Amino acid sequence: MSRSRGRRAASRPRRRAVPPLRFTLPTVLLLTLLATLLLRGLVTNEVFHDARINVSVDKDTVPPALLTGGPVIDARGPGDPKSYRAEDHTMALTFDDGPDEVWTPQILDVLAQYHAKATFFVTGSMVTRHPDLIRRILADGHEIGLHTFTHPDLTLQSDRRITWEMAQTQLALAGVAGVHSALFRPPYSSDASALDDLTWPVVKKLADRGYVTAFIDEDTDDWKRPGVDAIVAAATPKQPGSGHIVLMHDAGGDRAQTVAALKIVMPRLQSEGYRFTTVSESVGAGTSMSKVDGFQLWEGKLFLGLAHAAVFVMPALIVLLAVVGTLVFGRFALMLFLSVKHARRTRRRTFSWGPPVTEKVTVLVPAYNEQECIANTLHSLTDSEHPIEVIVIDDGSTDDTVAIVEGLALPGVRVISQPNSGKATALNTGIAHATHDLIVMMDGDTVFEPSTVRELVQPFADPRVGATAGNAKVGNRDSLIGAWQHIEYVMGFNLDRRMYDELGCMPTVPGAVGAYRRVALEQAGGMSEDTLAEDTDLTMALHVNGWKVVYTENARAWTEAPGSIGQLWSQRYRWCYGTMQAMWKHRGAVLASGPAGRFGRVGLPLVALFMVLAPLLAPLFDVFLVYGVLFVDAPKTFTAWLTVLVVQLVCAGYAFWLDKEKPWHLISLPLQQLVYRQLMYLVLLQSWITALTGGRLRWQKLKRTGEVDVPVAV
Amino acid sequence: MTAPAHPGYLPPGAVRPPAAVPATGPVTATPAARAKPGRDRYLDFLRALALVRVVFLHMFAWTWLPIVFPSMGVMFALAGSLMARSLSRPTWSVIRGRLRRLLPPLWLLGLIAVPGMLLQGWSAHGSGHSVAGFWGRLALWVLPLMDPPYGDPLPGVHGLLDHAWGEHAAGPLWYLRAYLWFVLLSPLMLALLRRIPWLVLPAPMLFCVVMQLGYVDFRPEIYSVVDGFATYGSCWMLGMAYQEGLLSRFPRYVLPSIVPFVMAVSLWWTLNGTNDEGGPQNLEDSSLGQAVWSFGFVLLLLAASPSWDEWPPRLKRWAGWISLLNSRAVTVYLWHNLAITAAISLFGLTWYVPVLAENVPWLLDSDWVPMLLAWPLIGLCIVAFGWIEDVAAKRSPRLFPYPRAPRSARRR
Repeated sequence: MSRSRGRRAASRPRRRAVPPLRFTLPTVLLLTLLATLLLRGLVTNEVFHDARINVSVDKDTVPPALLTGGPVIDARGPGDPKSYRAEDHTMALTFDDGPDEVWTPQILDVLAQYHAKATFFVTGSMVTRHPDLIRRILADGHEIGLHTFTHPDLTLQSDRRITWEMAQTQLALAGVAGVHSALFRPPYSSDASALDDLTWPVVKKLADRGYVTAFIDEDTDDWKRPGVDAIVAAATPKQPGSGHIVLMHDAGGDRAQTVAALKIVMPRLQSEGYRFTTVSESVGAGTSMSKVDGFQLWEGKLFLGLAHAAVFVMPALIVLLAVVGTLVFGRFALMLFLSVKHARRTRRRTFSWGPPVTEKVTVLVPAYNEQECIANTLHSLTDSEHPIEVIVIDDGSTDDTVAIVEGLALPGVRVISQPNSGKATALNTGIAHATHDLIVMMDGDTVFEPSTVRELVQPFADPRVGATAGNAKVGNRDSLIGAWQHIEYVMGFNLDRRMYDELGCMPTVPGAVGAYRRVALEQAGGMSEDTLAEDTDLTMALHVNGWKVVYTENARAWTEAPGSIGQLWSQRYRWCYGTMQAMWKHRGAVLASGPAGRFGRVGLPLVALFMVLAPLLAPLFDVFLVYGVLFVDAPKTFTAWLTVLVVQLVCAGYAFWLDKEKPWHLISLPLQQLVYRQLMYLVLLQSWITALTGGRLRWQKLKRTGEVDVPVAV
Repeated sequence: MTAPAHPGYLPPGAVRPPAAVPATGPVTATPAARAKPGRDRYLDFLRALALVRVVFLHMFAWTWLPIVFPSMGVMFALAGSLMARSLSRPTWSVIRGRLRRLLPPLWLLGLIAVPGMLLQGWSAHGSGHSVAGFWGRLALWVLPLMDPPYGDPLPGVHGLLDHAWGEHAAGPLWYLRAYLWFVLLSPLMLALLRRIPWLVLPAPMLFCVVMQLGYVDFRPEIYSVVDGFATYGSCWMLGMAYQEGLLSRFPRYVLPSIVPFVMAVSLWWTLNGTNDEGGPQNLEDSSLGQAVWSFGFVLLLLAASPSWDEWPPRLKRWAGWISLLNSRAVTVYLWHNLAITAAISLFGLTWYVPVLAENVPWLLDSDWVPMLLAWPLIGLCIVAFGWIEDVAAKRSPRLFPYPRAPRSARRR
């Protein structure tokens, strides 16, 4: 009880030492990314797209006068709604769904040719895409009406959505041209007689918000491309001289027929005395456009700027996604190819490192407060099939570690105590006291199999080998987070390590199980305190000095993995930041010659790509997943995501098979992928922040339960 | 069975038994084997959370709330686990005991609501039943094997109860009806669960599928009984399975690895469907969706089950309220809907204050103020009607069982 309280007290300052941006910055980045995608999807009418159309219903609630009245309906204010017709000898041409980059300019040219005015009912997404056309429409003196942002059937939409559709379109219009419009036409509408119990409430709702609704007298159906003559006939008033509001389209497909029909119908009607004007003027009203300034104007400009930035950023994001996709799949391909090669090479019956290595070796066990685990660690060593000397270096433990070790009084086990000064120093102390030329290093919480030491030192038969890396296994794999790390370790040791071994540039000998030649250690100057990942630092130093570092798959060591996300985070932060430090420290290898240069030009870039770049971009997968599922095409997105998962599963399955592990834990893979991607991304960003702000990281010790020591057969 | 449940944990023979090591390994005992003393505060916490969520849902009608926390599934699972624990005693005394705890609070509600509705003019006329049938059906307020009847609309009491107060009063009773059936069928369910657990556990959900496909049909009153059983039967039995230690047969990583994906698929299916009115379907509209989501959610909650013998530090400050809600759970559940109705009606009176109506209509329109008002009213109900729970449990009745901390502890 008192111990756990002490631990809690000790952990408190550590929590404060974490940079404050740990969650905020990464989360904000991801959310910004998602928002960017959304905005761009809005502009291209990809998100919130709703192509459903309602069927018409009864007309019980529609004021009867409207059904037989004119096409322009003003239901604003408390009185009865009024409807208006175009005055005699006026023709109000209206163009819906635009502006369009091809057809709108042609229509504007024709209109200018006959000095005619018209009305364009524009959608917000098109406004955002073609601001120049809106400016030209206004400069030519035409009128602009609103046709919603995404062109949905408003009778199917909620109040909130309708409000949003209108407000967003006004926002775009303000940003593009500094104007608002009070004229509105609902998508999928026709003449006033078609009003029904579903559409009338929409008209009324918008009237309450200050909009006049403009229906039509005649639909030319030009979007069906019925032929120029049909469009001309439809646009010509049945009663010569009567006012007319006509519907045409300037977007949504080939509008050549519309343009051609205009060229015929306009001179003909003008010669009959018709005046071509805007909807507002045709019913004898003033303009529906109003100037916008101040906050609304800047708000509009901001929206437009962001929308354009979003459209602009999209290709870059796709490129990044392609990069990370290539990296991920390239890595899998490379790993599969090289690990197959490695496994076949080292598992061949004739394979041998040379004459068997039987000389006695020194095992160094650095221990800092390892009372839960140390006894099992040492017991496992006394079972070793290889002659060993064990040196426990007590790094100023404050618990019972020393007493437990001395109480065991195991033959061949020595304890050296030093004041607390870190793992690297403890290992250097051990190296100084070691009596043999081969030195095995392990952690105080790790358990060896009887054959581990023997397997680990066999490669030293080859005089070029300076260090060997063993196969670390997760003991506490029963919990979810343990299972995740189990999968990760099996893949890491059976795919990554074999790949690096084949390429001759293993970046890390794990601290939990590794062996070194004393000369190689001394040449590298022992363990260094320069970085947080002393094992990676040392391994790179060996490469630079021209030593070979190899992987021994049968040298298994059982270790206790972090049991909570917080601890896992701390561990990975240390590894990640330490690796970055070590890479920076040995960056000179890139230009070196010989084996050092090979490591610098193959190993370092690979580590940089796979450990620093790829995880930083990996959340793009999930951002696109969320965006795709929620806003675009769920089945397609899922299929793509599942494909990636299956590839990962195949790789993981192969790794498990290589390691003779049962596959059950692989059911945790899907969730593991999701969580790990985010975790590694967060850890990497935090490492970068630390690197750039020069923050220091203190030693973080795992909270031990001693779970790995508990034997299974209960 | 001596073999490990999880293969390949450690290589055999690699490790010696920890002779000299103090056993500090995590406690992985099954709930059944756990030491008896003390309540599991985790379950108390879940029950309180479920109750608060129910009140929020009935006030705000947010359709996403049942997704965030499926209260009813959680409550049935907790009850099922208690029932399984009790069933080590003789069956009939256990059922009698459960009913004795459950029904008196209902009778107290009925004693007030039924005469109230009758006084407001509720009668056989227009109920679709004969006079004898009408009075006979009132027996459902005594033993709710089907949903108890109620009057609708009623004149109401201006500023306190609206026209639908009968419906509000009787609305939550479906939970007691379902609970009653679960209690009655528990001995059978437990026996089956012990014999063929992996067949009976999903059986109610499978029956939901059958009903969804329209293969079976019942009269409306019967339908709601069957539907309630099918929707939450799996949750109830899941609570029993938890109590029986069935869940800890899996390695801990298994359930959280699979269940979220099953839940996601079912939620996706549910939200993409259409309800009876042709609108977009939410969780409350679909028995199958509700059943699967609740089952998965409860499964995760129980699989995680941290078993708190004492309150975690962060929850300590709420401990009193959680205990209060737990000891008055039935009262709060039975009366909260009337409290909410009263809160809305009372707050509606503010529209008669012109200064407020003209200047802050948005405030008077808000649901949050009635929400704040509803909690003291629920407190009032606890004081007025909660004692019956103590009487039913053969304890000495208390007005407001907020646990009083000893003086020394209160100073901190």
